[in-house]
Amino acid sequence: MRDNEYYKKLGFKCGLEIHQRLATRQKLFCSCSAEITGDEVIAQVSRRQRAVAGELGAMDRSTSFESSRKRKFIYNIFRNTSCLVDIDEEPPHKVNRDAIDTALRFASAFGSKVPDEIEPMRKEVVDGSDTTAFQRSMMVAYDGKIEVNGRHIPITSIFLEEESSGIDSSSNDSVVYNIDRQGIPLIEIDTDPSISTPQEAKEVALKIGLILRLTGRKDGNTIASGVQRGIGTIRQDVNVSIAGGTRVEVKGLQEIGSVDLLIENEVERQIRLIEIKKELVARQAKVDGSSVDLSKILGSVSGNIIGDTLSKGGIVLGSRLQGFAGMLGMEISQDRRLGSEISDYAKMAGVKGIIHSDEDLGKYGIGDSEIRMIRSELGVNDLDSFILIAADKDACTMAMSFALDRARMALTEVPPETRAVSDSKKGTTRFMRPLPGGSRMYPETDSEPILISRQYYDGIQKQTVYMEDRLAAIRKEISNQQLAEQMAYSVRLPLYEYITSNVSGINIVVAATLLEKIKELERSGISVDIDKDVMVHLFKAYAAGEITKAAIGEVMKNSPKSINDTDRIISEKSLARISGERLKELILKEKKASKGDLAKELMSKYRLNVDGDEFNVILGDMK
Amino acid sequence: MYSNEIQAILDSLGIKPGDTIAISNGGESEEGVLMPRSDAGDNSVIVIKRKDGYNIGLRYSKDMRITKQASGTGHFEFPKAITTTNGSLNNVALLYTGGTIGSKVDYATGGVYMLTKPEELLHEVPELKEIVNIDVQNLMSIASEDMTCLEWRKIAEGVVKAFDKGARGVIITHGTDTMHYTSAALSFMLQDLNGPVVITGAQRSSDRGSSDAFLNLICSAHLAANSNIAEVGICMHKTSSDQSCIMIRGTKARKMHTSRRDAFRPINSSPIASVDRNGRIEYKSEYRKMSAHGTRTTAMTGFEERTALVKVHPNSTPEILDFYVEKGYKGIIIEGTGMGHVPSSTSKEEYSWLGRIKNTVDKGVVVGMTSQCIYGRVNPTVYRNLRLAASAGAIYCEDMLSEVAYVKLGFLLGNYKAEAAKEMLNTNIAGEITARTEFEPEFTE
Repeated sequence: MRDNEYYKKLGFKCGLEIHQRLATRQKLFCSCSAEITGDEVIAQVSRRQRAVAGELGAMDRSTSFESSRKRKFIYNIFRNTSCLVDIDEEPPHKVNRDAIDTALRFASAFGSKVPDEIEPMRKEVVDGSDTTAFQRSMMVAYDGKIEVNGRHIPITSIFLEEESSGIDSSSNDSVVYNIDRQGIPLIEIDTDPSISTPQEAKEVALKIGLILRLTGRKDGNTIASGVQRGIGTIRQDVNVSIAGGTRVEVKGLQEIGSVDLLIENEVERQIRLIEIKKELVARQAKVDGSSVDLSKILGSVSGNIIGDTLSKGGIVLGSRLQGFAGMLGMEISQDRRLGSEISDYAKMAGVKGIIHSDEDLGKYGIGDSEIRMIRSELGVNDLDSFILIAADKDACTMAMSFALDRARMALTEVPPETRAVSDSKKGTTRFMRPLPGGSRMYPETDSEPILISRQYYDGIQKQTVYMEDRLAAIRKEISNQQLAEQMAYSVRLPLYEYITSNVSGINIVVAATLLEKIKELERSGISVDIDKDVMVHLFKAYAAGEITKAAIGEVMKNSPKSINDTDRIISEKSLARISGERLKELILKEKKASKGDLAKELMSKYRLNVDGDEFNVILGDMK
Repeated sequence: MYSNEIQAILDSLGIKPGDTIAISNGGESEEGVLMPRSDAGDNSVIVIKRKDGYNIGLRYSKDMRITKQASGTGHFEFPKAITTTNGSLNNVALLYTGGTIGSKVDYATGGVYMLTKPEELLHEVPELKEIVNIDVQNLMSIASEDMTCLEWRKIAEGVVKAFDKGARGVIITHGTDTMHYTSAALSFMLQDLNGPVVITGAQRSSDRGSSDAFLNLICSAHLAANSNIAEVGICMHKTSSDQSCIMIRGTKARKMHTSRRDAFRPINSSPIASVDRNGRIEYKSEYRKMSAHGTRTTAMTGFEERTALVKVHPNSTPEILDFYVEKGYKGIIIEGTGMGHVPSSTSKEEYSWLGRIKNTVDKGVVVGMTSQCIYGRVNPTVYRNLRLAASAGAIYCEDMLSEVAYVKLGFLLGNYKAEAAKEMLNTNIAGEITARTEFEPEFTE
């Protein structure tokens, strides 16, 4: 049973980093739009980046690794959402105060300390995802906490930073990035590594997400949300380690539902890697690092990766892994083996992957006689494995060195890595780059520090609406608790609040319509995009008894463009409510054998005009 | 700089930037490395670098208790390149003068410094070792806006010395703001040049992974080592992409953008050559070639400091010329409008420059005329007002850039008699004047 005790015994440590885009009008350090919908690409530039010495003199292991890949980065430049600042051709403009204010509201919501002065920093990143080769980032708060199931989870730090560019496409030696999203303000909320189980991690992520969505700013009658909603606007990074393992960061999980599965898999992966390490140590396994050109031996292989590579003038390198027999094929998580880990490293040099002796080599066109020759050429015996890489000479040489580095790590450690989600449903991950060290932070000298006076922060706090208050209000207004919870998590919460602040006494109808009716309409292919004041008008008509609840959906179906349009739809579609004396008359006119038949007949005819409850009351009163 | 109050406390505790300190205030304590206070910002805020690498600022108050936890290591030592010699490569001198290309964040203290050791810059461009044998000379470490004719002289002498020592070509790293003044000065000062003199710099400092310095240095090295150009030129990015650079004649270059990588453009001319990271050099126009029978390169380093560059504009009054005459100036370049106009037949007579120009010339001052259009050629005859200015004694400087005309006039007056200088001002001596301007579909491209 994988309970708290199980994870405690493992020495499980887990922390989260939640990244959420803010809903500001402009980007963090320039005046470009922070909304990236349907902009056009107007030009491309290509750039190179390289690691520069970090604070400790040594280059950071992640940045120097990326630098060794020597890839070319191509940036798509957009008309409205990118400018010279985004393409690293102009210094940053003054910081976006709106983003600072929003970040301070979150600082308050998480009960964090705010420094008297915020210092913009540069975090070195040379994988091309920032045109500047660094991400501008600033610590806006520290030492906060949240409560989840009665346990306090420290929120160690809150950062305000620039969103990176998004990958458009990539190949062996180049990556194309879209810079439209680079520079959108992003807030990062970090917990400390005291999360005790994968399940708790999921709950913490949900709670942080809720606070981010529900903390807002009072704006007249409504509450302005601080964050963007929709796909890609929130990402969670997970840090996991177990005793004997190491800290591994899994980046960019967008589906919060698989946080727990992902962590369970990572724990499993580390357990397997530790087992493999023990076995390899017991076998006195070795990776000597040398490799041999096997192109001649494999000259007769046709087709497949090997034949194709050789026919294009490439080479095949092979290397012996002493004492590794059977280990490369060991499963370490679903669909992942030690071989696939090594292969991930090799791929960073732009090759397709590795071929190893724990696989069926026949599928690569390598027959028994070739296997014998490879084994003799590499000096492989029964206790050993070997790996092969086929590619053009430079890529092949670099890939083999990356692969052998990874194989060597299997003897001593679970390597500290940044990993990417490869399948979010299965919760599996793949190697992305070595885990960055602390030596990549330095001051953003182009930008001024930002003073936050006590008074200023107090003013921000006064305008802030907190998650707890907002949630309590929703729970009070909507007696159906399931509906209330749904409303709290819904993207339509601000609309609900706007409508109910203008029309009182019908909160449940508003919530049910926004959550259920609209979903139903959308499922049948009708997109509901109605102005919020038109919505208010529609619900006012319902509250005044002019239309029935059923008619609300019917009006929405016809996509009213304005208040007048709404009235026109009501009259043209004869949606006016029939009630009171008129309803009685209607019932009396119909003569039916039984009340049941009468109800059936009338309600099918006047479903949209008659309120069911009223109908039943009148019918019940009749003899 | 911290406020006097804070500095006094830090001094009394023996705390310097780079030391680890703890700051406690009513039970709460923050620990980190003390950072220096930049000139910007409130000097009563103490900045510390936390363990996670982030800096935060805490406002000093009397209740604060500051304690020293550990001493720092002093200034950060950047790794240095080890220069080796490869017999199959050409020898090139690199004269280091400062500027953005050599400015760096000091990681120990967080401040920005000019690198004093160019080997630190070379450490980050290991490709250079495959292209040239570089002999690094540290001439100075100053920002280009602080350059004067004293530095131009020093650089020119440095180039001569480098060639004397056997360099095939010379690379000069320089701040970008006044790079085109220096390139013009060297173009005039260096005589009998018989090798490439390539000036380069960076628009993004070399402590950033995205710096343009790397490609600029690589391309400059290829040019200095392998081109047969015997001229002074500026080698910087051709476009915003890190693909190739162009070598622009030293007298035809101008910084045309405050921040872009491709800020330097050839004006009224084509670049001499383009060059990419792999060393492929394409020659684009006529240039002076290296010769097997070349004589020793020398430098004529005189420069008349009392030379001025004056811009006319609507409502400008010519009294400024009187000021310069009174101060003993020997030469003035007037940056006129259009084809070389100055206010002439103005409704108020005191706005007209004609009389003052004549007066200035009569006093023996050499007056040259260029255009603030930047592109194109001045002409002393098309309009009546042009003829008037010319007959007042202003020398029309053809298609010479204003900045170049200024440097040229100072150079001429520093090395020749005024009469000779007058003669030479609108005669080409270092590619600064071209007799014909080829048609370009888009002339600013």
